Amino acid sequence: MTALRTTPDRPEPLRRRRAGRRLELFWGAVFLAPVLVSLVVLRIVPAVGAISASLYKAFPGGIIPATYAGLQNYRSLFGDPNFNDTIVRTIVFNLIINPLQILVALLVAVLFVQRIPLVGLWRTLLFVPVTVPVVGSCIAWGAALNPEGPVNAIISALGGKPQPFFTSPGQALACIMVIASWIGIGYWMLFLVSGLQAIPEELYDAAKIDRAGPVRTFINITIPMLRRPLLFVLVADTVANFVLFVPVQLLTGGGPQSSTTLLMFEAYRTSYAYGSRNLGAAQVVLLTAIMLFFVLLQFRLLREEGES
Amino acid sequence: MTLSTQPLTRRRFISAAAAIGSTTLLVTACGGGGGATSAPSAGGWTIPTTDPTATINVLSHLGLKTDHMQDVVDAFEKAHPTIKVNFETVPFDSLASTIDARVANKDGSPDVYWADQPRISALAARGEAEDLTSAFSSYKSTFAPTAYDAGIYQDKLWALPIANSTQLLYYNKTLLKKAGLADPSASTDQRMTWEQLITDAKKAKDAGAQYGFLFGQFDRYYQLEPLAVQLGGSPGASGNGNLTPDFASDAWVKALTWYGSIFADGTAPKGLASEQTDPAFLGGRAAYMVEGPWLLPQLKTSKVDWGVAPQPVFAGGKPATPTGSWSLAMNPFSKQKEAAAIFLRWMAIDDGGGGYIKYLPSPELAASVEGKKVYFAKDVFSTPQGQDAAKIIDFETANTAVNRVSTIGYIEFETIMNQMYADVRNGADPKTSVDKSTAQLKTAWQKYQ
Repeated sequence: MTALRTTPDRPEPLRRRRAGRRLELFWGAVFLAPVLVSLVVLRIVPAVGAISASLYKAFPGGIIPATYAGLQNYRSLFGDPNFNDTIVRTIVFNLIINPLQILVALLVAVLFVQRIPLVGLWRTLLFVPVTVPVVGSCIAWGAALNPEGPVNAIISALGGKPQPFFTSPGQALACIMVIASWIGIGYWMLFLVSGLQAIPEELYDAAKIDRAGPVRTFINITIPMLRRPLLFVLVADTVANFVLFVPVQLLTGGGPQSSTTLLMFEAYRTSYAYGSRNLGAAQVVLLTAIMLFFVLLQFRLLREEGES
Repeated sequence: MTLSTQPLTRRRFISAAAAIGSTTLLVTACGGGGGATSAPSAGGWTIPTTDPTATINVLSHLGLKTDHMQDVVDAFEKAHPTIKVNFETVPFDSLASTIDARVANKDGSPDVYWADQPRISALAARGEAEDLTSAFSSYKSTFAPTAYDAGIYQDKLWALPIANSTQLLYYNKTLLKKAGLADPSASTDQRMTWEQLITDAKKAKDAGAQYGFLFGQFDRYYQLEPLAVQLGGSPGASGNGNLTPDFASDAWVKALTWYGSIFADGTAPKGLASEQTDPAFLGGRAAYMVEGPWLLPQLKTSKVDWGVAPQPVFAGGKPATPTGSWSLAMNPFSKQKEAAAIFLRWMAIDDGGGGYIKYLPSPELAASVEGKKVYFAKDVFSTPQGQDAAKIIDFETANTAVNRVSTIGYIEFETIMNQMYADVRNGADPKTSVDKSTAQLKTAWQKYQ
């Protein structure tokens, strides 16, 4: 097998190899072009556009031209206590909802890879909310959680006290979390189930021989072997929740008493309802920066764990 | 049913919801910028005596079929055979952004569009409306004063009103009789007080009515602004260009406190959306309701034994009622301004009070004095209660109507005000809400300073 191999120091084949490599690069570029072009057109151009727009100031509407304003948009945003509250609220919201969703999704996924009867049915049931359009599930939840709606009817029938849900500043954001998780848990569970099924059975057998209990097996085998899908789910879930919008827009409009005004909703309202595209662009830039910070943090944490 | 503050229909709601989903992605993609050419200066056109041959594009939230605008368009084309109307409909919720985008294209289409009256100042300031002063200011006396004024920004006329609105107190005679309550007087001299109304509404509720009292549109500035004005409050903003929030006053806090109290004591329901109020009254479940004249045709076909009275006033306050509806504005980049002007005049003025009122099959309160007569001659006013309603509507539109505040920052204003009303309805402290909303609005209006 090794007898007739060309040695690399001979000039003729080297040139040919270089030419071949160039051709390879050329075709590589050709096949990658659609992706690269889309990446530039759909990601980089809008991002640069948003950053540059955030440095301008314009009268609402599209006719009167914008003027350069430097960092004025950012200064006025940070000078506004309401906006600062919105940032804090968005971060707190994400610090609660992301770990919660992933923890529940992980527990459900672990449960659903066990040999339990009708496992396919349970998995499907949990996945069904994902297939319902978000708008539809928001309308359904809005009706269900109406103060005079069916959920309160059930609570009353069981002898409990009816809850205000979306009409209370103390409960509205929690209700949004419930709706987002109702959809999200089934979705993220699916990735984790496939990740769990990819863990070789031998590792569990070895653990059994070493007399590791279920908790120890979970921590020392399942979690480390699940790192890749877990990282993906964590990052994708974080992004999804930072840009969560539809339930807020449809059900609370940011209220009551601004309790559900998240940054994404605020950016939409500023851009489209109020017509302040430049201020809205500044909010989007800040939202992206905060989101990137958390995503990078997650990459770092999970990678370091892997290396140690 | 053309008022901007009308409850959302399901169709509107779903299309809006669908639009929201798709626009989310675009937030990052839209920057400021925009071309440098400014709108052509006003003038350069007059209303011609002979019709030009032209096709004009008209943009509205009303449908040709669903809202019977085809009847109106047909009547116009019959009266002006050389001018064709290309009528386009967009959902109510995307009308404002569509106007923004289409006018900014500067290709002159649409030539005429439906303008929500409180947004006219903003449209004018944004350069999206043509100055109509020289062509139409001579028709001022044709219109109800508040309706004409709704088109004024910086002493110039930017839009012509085609419709108007007001509010009346409807009551369910059967439910009142059950509670031993006398019918409120239909005379505008013997207006009920809000205090009396709530006392009676509570009695009616105790006697079996599901709801004591309903506003047609809970939590909306259009409906609730007159409460504070009755107590001597401002319309909500004042100062140069009405860009200073002005609702942190005793009158506003008092009005909001009353508003919060009717939900706290259960006279009015907390969980009822504005879309559900008309069906509640028409289904005989509410004793009293303050709502617009658009309820009249539906009442005529319902089984409810109803009566009508003027909207109440606070004890010691002076009567004030909601008003306002839609106007028509012209695109400053239109290439068919003369034909567009003929269309505007026909819709709002010609044919004894405007073709819009005359040829629209469903009755709609006119903005013009002549048009009101056409309106009151419609079938819904033939009954005794209908005649009471006609008298009240005529009086209120001429004497007690208060416009929504005219400001280029109306959109921010209305959004924040409606949220404030909703918060108070849900039990927030009125004083705290007023202060918080004032701060919020100050920030939102910073860009205009």
